[in-house]
Amino acid sequence: MALLERNEWYDIARDTNWTPTYVSQENLFPPTMSDPYQIPIDEWETFDEPYKVSFREYVRTQREKDGSAYSVKAALSRSRFYDQACEGWASVLKLHYGTVALTEYQACQFQARMVRFGPSPSMRNMATFGMLDEMRHAQLQLFFPHELVHRDRQYDWAHEAAHTNNWAVIGGRHAMDDIMMCRDAVTGSLMVSFAFETGLTNLQMIGLSTDAANMGDFTFSNLITSIQSDEARHAQLGTPTIEIMVRNGYKEDAQKILDIAFWRVWRLFSVSVGIPMDYYIPLEQRHMSFKEFMHEWVNRQYVRQVEDLGLAKPWYWQHFLDDIENHHHCQQGGIWSWRPTVWWNPPGAVGPKERQWLEKKYPGWNDSYGTYWDVITENLLADREEKTHPECVPIICNMCQIPISNRPGKAWKARPYQFEHEGRRYNFCTEPCRWIFTTDPNRYKDHETIVDRMYSGEIQPPDLDGVLKYMGIGVVSEGGRDGYNYQWIEGFRSAAAE
Amino acid sequence: MDKFPILSRFQYDCHVKVVETDVGETITQLAMNCASHSIGIHVKDQPGKVLRVRKTSDTDDQPPLRGDITVGEAGLIMYDCVDVYFSDPES
Repeated sequence: MALLERNEWYDIARDTNWTPTYVSQENLFPPTMSDPYQIPIDEWETFDEPYKVSFREYVRTQREKDGSAYSVKAALSRSRFYDQACEGWASVLKLHYGTVALTEYQACQFQARMVRFGPSPSMRNMATFGMLDEMRHAQLQLFFPHELVHRDRQYDWAHEAAHTNNWAVIGGRHAMDDIMMCRDAVTGSLMVSFAFETGLTNLQMIGLSTDAANMGDFTFSNLITSIQSDEARHAQLGTPTIEIMVRNGYKEDAQKILDIAFWRVWRLFSVSVGIPMDYYIPLEQRHMSFKEFMHEWVNRQYVRQVEDLGLAKPWYWQHFLDDIENHHHCQQGGIWSWRPTVWWNPPGAVGPKERQWLEKKYPGWNDSYGTYWDVITENLLADREEKTHPECVPIICNMCQIPISNRPGKAWKARPYQFEHEGRRYNFCTEPCRWIFTTDPNRYKDHETIVDRMYSGEIQPPDLDGVLKYMGIGVVSEGGRDGYNYQWIEGFRSAAAE
Repeated sequence: MDKFPILSRFQYDCHVKVVETDVGETITQLAMNCASHSIGIHVKDQPGKVLRVRKTSDTDDQPPLRGDITVGEAGLIMYDCVDVYFSDPES
């Protein structure tokens, strides 16, 4: 029997709305889980997803994608690529898998909330595919690093990280719990599908895939491309939702929702993408700086998209532009200095040639971040490795959970942005992080950073070993060390000898 | 005496650091305490300069705290932030 064309049956099959008689509409779609703005249901029925797919088409396409990804993995597992890959690239993989694999599973649960509580039948239909996408992404990104665990136990963090209280994991969890796990379907679709996926991660996948290909890691490149093609589809859930909110008088709410989520994700994105691009990937294989990537792939596109929808770029745009040139450099220093607290081996990778490149890409780098690395380099050249390990901790932002840092050297920009609420003092890294807290203090007020936990008695014993164990270091795997065993200082040693 | 954390915003450093102090520590001792976590770790020493301490403010214009008073006398409490900065001895 001949099949009908998709467009002949799609709308009627998709529009599974009905008038409930056994329960009220409000009980079927509780506002706190579905639509707190209470936009009329006939408005939601105008939701038209830009990309349409049937289940039959979906399964066929996904099967092909999986077949391709797994066959490349099988071929590369027979090669010695990962035995020979540099530790810089291994750090990219360990950081990526540890922070992303089970976040995909969280995303699966979020999509499931839209499947159940999305006020539009189209949203529910499209989120069904999104839910299956995210499940596939979690499976792929757990299975691929599992292949590597026998070579290096740190790859086990792909599965274990989300179950630990590592400070970096707490940062990711705080943001993802905020935008994905604890939001209604409508707000979440803006935060996740638009700000997170359309704004940042879809593009992250493109950059990361290119880097992987340049490194010769075709398994990872193929994996990322496969995931990105799903993201590009289900990320489109946000746009029709914004259009409906704006049309129904909720423009200010939509703007605030996007501004909160974009900043939250940006702070993580800058660390997980910016540091690998500008420090972990060997100089010869870097295809562009993080700053160039952001300007070419993210900034213009995001602004154009929000303006096309009748919204404005975030109020903190100047802070954001400055952060592109600053945040990941600070955190590269911090992560390297406190390297025993992470599950990868971050390379310092600021030898003479790398510093020339950084100065060219980020004019003024040497006068600022360079002063920080000067002290570290001098210590290493003088065999004072112990002086490269600080004996205190940095204060952590009560929103992004990342060390409060800013330009070092003469600029001396690091400062906490404090806020008192109900007798408790909170520390924030930036104005936008503090602003997010003030938008809904009750939502955030009870959370404790890893530093707060040191002083609240939660971490016992409250010493270095106690903190490391609390974070899963020495439990899941050993903590980090310099990825290149300090080889990057040899250029300075040679120069000094000459 | 029970220690408590204050925040060290040390001149030229990249990070705001958590430093444990107690109410009986003098401001001079606090400056040295903070310095031990920055100078030679992330910040170069400035020979010939002295360290001064002031409460952190948005405008960076708070007067320096006297070196001989204690942390308690200065009214510093948990998570207060102080600027620790290099200064000419005569100034």
